[in-house]
Amino acid sequence: MSERVTITVDGIPLEVDAGELLIKAAEDNGTYIPRFCWHPRMKPVGMCRMCLVEVEGPRGILLTTSCNMPVSDGMVVHTESETVKKAQEGILEFLLINHPLDCPVCDRGGECPLQDQTLSHGPGESRFVEEKRHFEKPIPISDLVLLDRERCILCARCTRFSDEVSGDPLIEFQSRGNNTQVLTFPDEPFASYFSGNTVQICPVGALTSKPYRFRARPWDLEKTESTCPHCSVGCSIEVHTSQNEVIRYQGVDNDDVNWGWLCDKGRYSFESVNSAERLDTPLIRNASGQLEPASWPDAMEAAATGLASIVEAHGGNSVAGIGGARGSNESAYAFGKFMRTIIGTNHLDAQLGDGLDPHFLVGSTPRGVINDLDTAKTIVLWGPDLKEELPVLYLRVRHAAQQGAKLIVIHPRRTGLDDRATFKVVYKPGEGPALLNKLVEGDPGLAEVRAAINEGPVVGLVGRTGLTEDPRLAEAVAAFLRELPKATLMPLARRSNVYGALDMGVSPRLLPGRVSSASESGKAALREHWGSLPDDFGRDTIGIIDGLADGHLKGLVMMGSDPVRDVPSGNRAAEALSRAEFVVAIDTFLNDSAAAADVVFPALGFTEQEGTVTNLEGRVQKVTQAAPGPGQARPDWSILEDLAHRMGGSIGATSVNVLFKEIVTVAPAYRGLTWVDLEFGEGRDGLVMPLEEGDQPIQYVAVDPGLAPTKAPLALHSARTLYDDGVHTRFGPSLERLVGAPMAYLHPDDAARLGIPDGGEVDVETVQGSARVQVGFDPSLAPGTVFVPFNQGIGQNLGSAVEVKLEVVS
Amino acid sequence: MITWSKDRAEAAQRILGSYPERRSAVMPLLYVAMAEYGYVSEQAMRDVAELTGLTPVQVSSVASFYTMYKREEVGRYLVSVCTSVSCHLLGGDDVLHAVEAETGVPHGETGPDGTFSVEHVECIGACGGAPAVQVNYELIEGVTPEKAVELCQWLNATEPDPLLGDEMQALFGGQRSFDWGPSESTGSKGPVPAFGPYSTAGTDRLAGP
Ligand code: SF4
Ligand code: SF4
Ligand code: FES
Ligand code: FES
Repeated sequence: MSERVTITVDGIPLEVDAGELLIKAAEDNGTYIPRFCWHPRMKPVGMCRMCLVEVEGPRGILLTTSCNMPVSDGMVVHTESETVKKAQEGILEFLLINHPLDCPVCDRGGECPLQDQTLSHGPGESRFVEEKRHFEKPIPISDLVLLDRERCILCARCTRFSDEVSGDPLIEFQSRGNNTQVLTFPDEPFASYFSGNTVQICPVGALTSKPYRFRARPWDLEKTESTCPHCSVGCSIEVHTSQNEVIRYQGVDNDDVNWGWLCDKGRYSFESVNSAERLDTPLIRNASGQLEPASWPDAMEAAATGLASIVEAHGGNSVAGIGGARGSNESAYAFGKFMRTIIGTNHLDAQLGDGLDPHFLVGSTPRGVINDLDTAKTIVLWGPDLKEELPVLYLRVRHAAQQGAKLIVIHPRRTGLDDRATFKVVYKPGEGPALLNKLVEGDPGLAEVRAAINEGPVVGLVGRTGLTEDPRLAEAVAAFLRELPKATLMPLARRSNVYGALDMGVSPRLLPGRVSSASESGKAALREHWGSLPDDFGRDTIGIIDGLADGHLKGLVMMGSDPVRDVPSGNRAAEALSRAEFVVAIDTFLNDSAAAADVVFPALGFTEQEGTVTNLEGRVQKVTQAAPGPGQARPDWSILEDLAHRMGGSIGATSVNVLFKEIVTVAPAYRGLTWVDLEFGEGRDGLVMPLEEGDQPIQYVAVDPGLAPTKAPLALHSARTLYDDGVHTRFGPSLERLVGAPMAYLHPDDAARLGIPDGGEVDVETVQGSARVQVGFDPSLAPGTVFVPFNQGIGQNLGSAVEVKLEVVS
Repeated sequence: MITWSKDRAEAAQRILGSYPERRSAVMPLLYVAMAEYGYVSEQAMRDVAELTGLTPVQVSSVASFYTMYKREEVGRYLVSVCTSVSCHLLGGDDVLHAVEAETGVPHGETGPDGTFSVEHVECIGACGGAPAVQVNYELIEGVTPEKAVELCQWLNATEPDPLLGDEMQALFGGQRSFDWGPSESTGSKGPVPAFGPYSTAGTDRLAGP
């Protein structure tokens, strides 16, 4: 609890936190002071002068800006006096001197702080008759953002955001006086993963985004709160629709998660929702081997017969299920229940070979939440490059480090957080275990790092740094970190609702509600509800692919998954799919995997159905319906229910509500949750499950598996980038252009040793596959490392082997 | 990759060494870069960004704020005529027009042969000797339009190098504001402020492209 002080605003005494900014203290207590440059999530600068108020002081009444004035005890403030009004009118008159007032053709018109505050606080008339300043009307400053300098009021929100918040200061004020303008460097566009936030916080229409420009007028938009589905951070968003079409997403300030920010992938992925490529009718493979449109009854019949005949001939456990991480918890629950009770198999997995042990992911103790970052003394990140994989978590870590937390980053390559890291340790893939040993044993070379780590509270962010890293390394790291003073752990996996799907038991090792599938009591309890539950051993995704490839498994059901693109050895997944006897796919797009299915069902996607999702903290939030889906698409769970029906059973999936109620009854860690708890407004921040301490069924204590380092002359590091070649980038015209070209990066010394020029061509070869790519130099790599971005055309063929060979082509 | 001359590269390191935060060195480094390239080119700003850990656009934000960072190539002689109040009252504008007419270069521009750049500037601290003119930042006070014309002709004909303020003052100047002061003329070797011994940039070796 911080100290409280009493101030008087317009005659009303208020009790507020000491040191709070006056503008915020007033707003929290119902007095809105107009502003342009101040933003609650950024440092005040006092640039626009719109927030002038009068403050009584020992030297009389003072006109001062309230956005950079901390409250002090006894402060007497006037926000509506004649002087204040006159001052604010004056400021607005000045701001409008150069403003083009092209509101009728401005995207911002209707939701523009300048427009609104001119009406509420402005002079109503301008005395300025001279020529306004002129600039070329909007100039693109990146592939996504355009800048209209005539509209800019020089509040510096955009430039401060890029510098302070996102750490990529690629726009800045240029020149001075009447010539001051926001610009990029001539050949360096505003290529930030977070550029959309500047468009959202610009208080005028100076910054506009290509995907939204001229698409709608704000007053025509319907607004529905929801949760971004594109990674496991789970940012709060508002879905804006017009005439049943999704027009844009805006960030919503969720104090526990995203603080109003979104990454550009999340923000502009709405384009893929509207893609013409969306599946809108069921497909069946015809006699000549082509997928062709079919009616729902025919497709259902074909799928049910196909699956039933395999179950009959080879048993339920000859069929497997992959998916569930891209939809809601309710869909994932329905998927798990369908696979386990209707098909009768434990071969099901929501992870696609890129994750960690599911017990570790959802059951780690002590498990932390994002807000722990702000009270941490030390943050240790040994895991993915957050900027690429969990972008808004990157923003939160960055903020915490800027506020003074010590940040230690351990990764095989440069990461977005390096400039904020107190210590950065780079290592060659495969040598992680040796590095960890050194850290544990207090090797003199790492003494400083070790000393820094010992200061708690410590937040450990642990995950796989890349796809060639042994997933057990993260556990070894966690085993070490959890013993540090006041440590909490956040095991990281990025795939959208993967935590939710695992919580719903879509894993061979888990049952719904974070219960181990090896727990006899857990199984017994679930049998009570479900009637049946197979007892056999279950395979994970890689096991399923192996099983299909070698003929042990015959059938496959995919729900919102694309193993050909997503599994570290995509070519092997493709082979497995072609060997499978019968494959059913439920998806929003005919992705590379669904294209190999025998029956394909069109599913509703994000913004098209209600439900809940669970983020990387175990926080449950709501997703909502804002628009209808394309054509005949249906919710995943209802497709599964229909299929169950035709196979002579039921999973009881009659509505999202019914499923939700079943989940909170059946899934132990979700007990006690109600739909009302998650209503937006009060419940916007979602709830971290379980609600009561001690209700967590799995209490997973990471232990060091004692890994031996893998020695390879050349080691492969393969990791994801934000704009990889996934469906949401591929089917969104704006993001599609941002997908990187296939490349392999080498340390310049290695390249020199191997005689490879920058831009040369090589064949990259592992035991699992090979690819021909261009070479780039990356001095941030440890010598002996080859970095290949995953799923940019080729990465997915190289598998997860560490050892790699290079054959120079040119 | 920074390809500055050895002297300037060393000077840059010296400058960096004298600030606890690298980014604080941006302004003196811009002068060194300007000396290297003759003006603050895009490459110059990229170089300074590399040295300070800023992004190029942050460097250009500083460079474009101050008019003494020239962002276009400057002629061999940069003639700066003061048109602030004192000089304006005593005919600074006429001096400017005379310079423009003699050199054929309008203020804010550089002549096609690269000999002259002409600019009008705000107060250069020589109000007592108004109207004041600088050539490559070497000061001459009490300049009349006629003397300004002669000055330009002299520069053109004799191509002095280095350029000495005291010499120009004697030839073309009039009333000085501080004629009791010591000679401050360090001699300029180009249209980039040399700053001599007073500057954080160190020595006048930095001058001239
Ligand atoms: S572009 Fe917008 S956010 Fe940026 S300075 Fe101008 S008005 Fe402010
Ligand atoms: S960080 Fe993740 S959840 Fe947040 S906007 Fe980006 S993709 Fe969506
Ligand atoms: S909001 Fe206070 S000066 Fe801009
Ligand atoms: S006004 Fe010209 S030098 Fe001061």
